[in-house]
Amino acid sequence: MKRLGGYGPGAAVVAVPLGIALAGPLLVGEPTARAASFTLDAGHRLGTDFVGRDVVQQVLLGGRPVVLVALAATVLVYLVALPVGLACALTHRRWLEEVLMRPLDVLLAVPSLLMILLVAAAFPPGKAGLALLVAFVSAPDATRIVRAAAAEAASRPAVEALRMQGESWWRLAVGYVGRSILRTLAADAGIRLTGVLYLVATAAFLGIGVAPDAADWAVMVDRNRTGLIVQPWAVVVPALLIVALTMGGNLLVDAAMERRTPVRKGRRT
Amino acid sequence: MNALRSWIARRLLLGVLQTAAVVLLVFGLTEALPGDAAVAFAGDQPDPQRIAAVREAMGLDRPAHERLTDWVVGLLHGDFGTSLTSGRPVAGFLADGFGPTLLLATLTVLILVPVSVGLGVLAARHEGRLTDRLISSATLGVYAVPEFALGVLLVSVLALRLGWLPPTAVGYGTDLLAHPAALVLPVLVLLARPVCSLARLVRAGMIDALAAPWTAHARRYGIPGARIRYGHALPNALAPATQQLARTIDWLLCGVIVVEALYVIPGLGTVLMNAVADRDIPVVQGLAVVFGVATVLLNLGADLVTHRLAPRSGAAA
Repeated sequence: MKRLGGYGPGAAVVAVPLGIALAGPLLVGEPTARAASFTLDAGHRLGTDFVGRDVVQQVLLGGRPVVLVALAATVLVYLVALPVGLACALTHRRWLEEVLMRPLDVLLAVPSLLMILLVAAAFPPGKAGLALLVAFVSAPDATRIVRAAAAEAASRPAVEALRMQGESWWRLAVGYVGRSILRTLAADAGIRLTGVLYLVATAAFLGIGVAPDAADWAVMVDRNRTGLIVQPWAVVVPALLIVALTMGGNLLVDAAMERRTPVRKGRRT
Repeated sequence: MNALRSWIARRLLLGVLQTAAVVLLVFGLTEALPGDAAVAFAGDQPDPQRIAAVREAMGLDRPAHERLTDWVVGLLHGDFGTSLTSGRPVAGFLADGFGPTLLLATLTVLILVPVSVGLGVLAARHEGRLTDRLISSATLGVYAVPEFALGVLLVSVLALRLGWLPPTAVGYGTDLLAHPAALVLPVLVLLARPVCSLARLVRAGMIDALAAPWTAHARRYGIPGARIRYGHALPNALAPATQQLARTIDWLLCGVIVVEALYVIPGLGTVLMNAVADRDIPVVQGLAVVFGVATVLLNLGADLVTHRLAPRSGAAA
């Protein structure tokens, strides 16, 4: 798909939120004394939040949980998707494939946020729980993609030759098939990361997996909404950072994918 | 014709299985979690007497399969159980929230289809030129942005700074149609992500269809460009988009929950969030079944339409 420029725009958009998320907690310094809620006085450059904390400090602290939970969830997704997908693609037992893949079709039928809410209602999760939950709802799709890519690689003559040589399953799965699907995996990981980031932020906004006064951009947007008229910065700044993070991330992923699969030119007749 | 009929039969069977699986999953998930619904409901102040009372009311002392059978039989009769917090039937909650949510979803889909098809066709007609690049970049950028962040920014600019629209639907009750201004922002936010994904698919499908050999052949026969574009290329481009439209229902349901929370609209999403906050398991289960079954049915419908538009594509099942 044609866009303006290559990696440039995406990298530029994502740099600010990612920089704040990673380096912010180092720059924050001592927490300042709590002031009145929702003020815009001289002592605080972006004013104070709903319990009178400095918005600048909260912004600096609030990116790390969003990014870390999303990264952890993405890693967890592949911890499930890779073994299950590879096992399905390499097995010759049809029933094993059915047993492993059919439940995923069912999971795919349930809206992801609904599943998260359903579990959260019965068992309120913490940060780790949220990462697990998001990984759980994102894993079926990733598994299907791993399986499809691996099945293609596993049907090549090279795999048959390796089998006949008596190579171990491990050598086959990791050494050959795993290596040949690396590109597909990298592209899928990018898409998965943006999807997971969306779910993590939205869940946090709805108050799942986070403390009600947590320093987290999504929570800041939610909790400071009541003061939007008097003190917009406590909402607008974290919201803009989330927009920039997701938007830039998606642009980067797309640029990376385009580099891998060059667009065919001049197909119009 | 026989092949078509057997395909439809197989697809319907898959839909029935998925529905059954969703119901089982909803029941199983709350069953598998540590503690039970009564303990979860009691929350941070576990009062043994209260837990016992809730257990009694929900019949938690009976074996799981008996409760499952009762619940499923109830579902088939439209009886979704009783709320733990208020003692009202869950079906009453669903009926209350149904109107606003249905209105939001219908409006969104009604606008979504023409807008995304229009944008996709427009971009495809100008492939590689400025219009296409602008549309493609914008749709790509907005595609991944969470609704709440976008929505809150729109509220700050359009409602608070410029004062054009009301910031929330507070005070309008459930009759939102009488206050169209309050609907503009929620529908706009709900549209953002689905429009992007659909427009991109329509564009890609259009470009492929216009580059196909049969389009060139039709041109050589002297069939007018507009008829090729809208009579032949567009239906082919719409097949993958229809499937995606069903997938977008997933997003729409997520979006509805967020948008209702953001704009304080008393729909099903608000009912769900309140039930989640109160850990009112029967209400959450009832809503999950309704949302889950709606998703299954919409996917089924989309597959049938896709099959009609492009019978060779061999949709799922």
